[in-house]
Amino acid sequence: MAFVFSNIVSKCCIKSLEDAFLTLSVTGSATQVRERHVLGPKPRLRNPTWFTKKLKSKTDEELVTPENEEFVKEVVQDIYNKPIPIQKELITNIEWTPKLQRTGVIAKKIGVYPLWFSNGKRTSTTLLQVLDNHVIRYYTPEEYDPPRKRVGRIYNRKGCLLLGAEGADPSNFTREYCGFPDAALPLGTLLTSMHFQVGNYVDVRGKTIDRGFQGVMKRHGFKGMPASHGVTKTHRRGGNIGGGGEKGRVWPGTKMPGHMGNRYRIAKGLKILRINTKYNVLWVSGQAIPGETNSIVYVFDTKLPLRKPTKPLPFPTYLGDIDENIPEDIYDESIHNFSNPTIVYDEE
Amino acid sequence: MFSIVPRKYVSRLPNSCKVLKRLSSSISSSESVTNRKTENLKRDILQYRHIYPEFLPDPKFEFRNIIREKLERNDMIARRTQIDIPEFYVGSIMAVSSSDPHTPGKFHRFVGICIQRGGCGLRAHFTLRNVIDHQPRPWLERWERKNLQGVQDLGLPEKFYKRAQELAKPWEKYDLMKEYMQVFILLLFVVVITRTIPEEEQTEIFSEIQSKLQKLEVTRKQLKKKRVFVKPIKLA
Repeated sequence: MAFVFSNIVSKCCIKSLEDAFLTLSVTGSATQVRERHVLGPKPRLRNPTWFTKKLKSKTDEELVTPENEEFVKEVVQDIYNKPIPIQKELITNIEWTPKLQRTGVIAKKIGVYPLWFSNGKRTSTTLLQVLDNHVIRYYTPEEYDPPRKRVGRIYNRKGCLLLGAEGADPSNFTREYCGFPDAALPLGTLLTSMHFQVGNYVDVRGKTIDRGFQGVMKRHGFKGMPASHGVTKTHRRGGNIGGGGEKGRVWPGTKMPGHMGNRYRIAKGLKILRINTKYNVLWVSGQAIPGETNSIVYVFDTKLPLRKPTKPLPFPTYLGDIDENIPEDIYDESIHNFSNPTIVYDEE
Repeated sequence: MFSIVPRKYVSRLPNSCKVLKRLSSSISSSESVTNRKTENLKRDILQYRHIYPEFLPDPKFEFRNIIREKLERNDMIARRTQIDIPEFYVGSIMAVSSSDPHTPGKFHRFVGICIQRGGCGLRAHFTLRNVIDHQPRPWLERWERKNLQGVQDLGLPEKFYKRAQELAKPWEKYDLMKEYMQVFILLLFVVVITRTIPEEEQTEIFSEIQSKLQKLEVTRKQLKKKRVFVKPIKLA
């Protein structure tokens, strides 16, 4: 009996709850109409080169006859069932020079943890997992039309490699890397963590954490004002934003509250301290790499002139197999291997 | 097995059913033995969370990644093959020796009581403390709020005690939900934020590293027998 009774009670409760929600939703939609808050102009959308716009036809679907459908199928098969055009033979004996530009890779930021130098000092590192990168397409310099046009007279037009990773939304998992035709790779080439070498420097591009609308203390690191001593209503405010007289206006670029994060930033000149060839992970110095854990980042050789590699790089990419000859973990000389004996300082 | 089944029920069963039942019972008995074994093993594995709490990852969902955690654990085990970390808890008295470039002899040893243990993974840490200038052990909690007996009256104003009683939350230590997880119910959406790693994941993590940890324990015991006590040299 008790069971039945409780069942009824719970049913009643659910019903009353549902009613409550209904009334809530009705009243909410009727009274609360808020103004849309506009946050400045939206960033201009640059569609990727592989993007084709959908053709919208207003014709009814019933108008498509079975013959038409068959014809469309035939056309599609004609276009896409072609064998892949024969690629030019890959030239692997190109000597790398500092002027040559290699492709980058698509990676995932998987976390931060410390490594130790062989002198006992600790350093924070970020782990970047190189995803299943494949070359999808190569645009020759003649056919490549970059979305950002280069200024001036161009003597050496660049080609472009299109990479893809993970069988998911291509707008998230594809990336174009421009370079001179020497760096071209055949379709389907796999890029692994061996593309990079320990001790070299890379740049990492990622989308910063979206923090929403923030005040000046969080957004620009202002100091704010004291908590007490007669201060009222101005504890986290920016304070004065301009002078008087001739400069009596708000100058462009004044640091003020606004939207913070959710934009692409590049962390430059990060040293590769360790590579795991089994899981394709790079340990990169520093912990301030844009983006949250498990977000997609793009890793490429650094553009900083003083951190160019001294030893020749595998060009256009590392093409050997990853087998037993290659160790699972490759450490930089400066890093203390975890399975090595404890550091002991010599007495002078 | 049959004794448990009511008499009436058994008599109603046809013969073939009886045979089947007998067979199943013999199978189930052997199964129960294996089940007990696996349960024991599971309990042993779960014991590791007290011995090696640092092997459990940060329960914060935003920071988690399975491959990162795996790599981190491998590194921790690699480090443990080189240094001897015994089983210890908050309250254990122990000695820590480290190489330090700034001490004469380049070797530093500290004996103390463990007052704190925190962090996880390679960032795990503990705090040792010993008696400095005959000071008592540090006070980490506000004892006057715990209604303890024998606390010396410090002659604090009445206001202080009133305020302490207002702020006291004696029910909090019984609030298991607070320990386990936080649940936000936002109009038909339920968001669960866990504060601890679930038991299933704990067994998964520890069963992965169990064999390695056991090996380490064995080597440690062997080393312990071999080790010879060296009297420390008095410096300066």
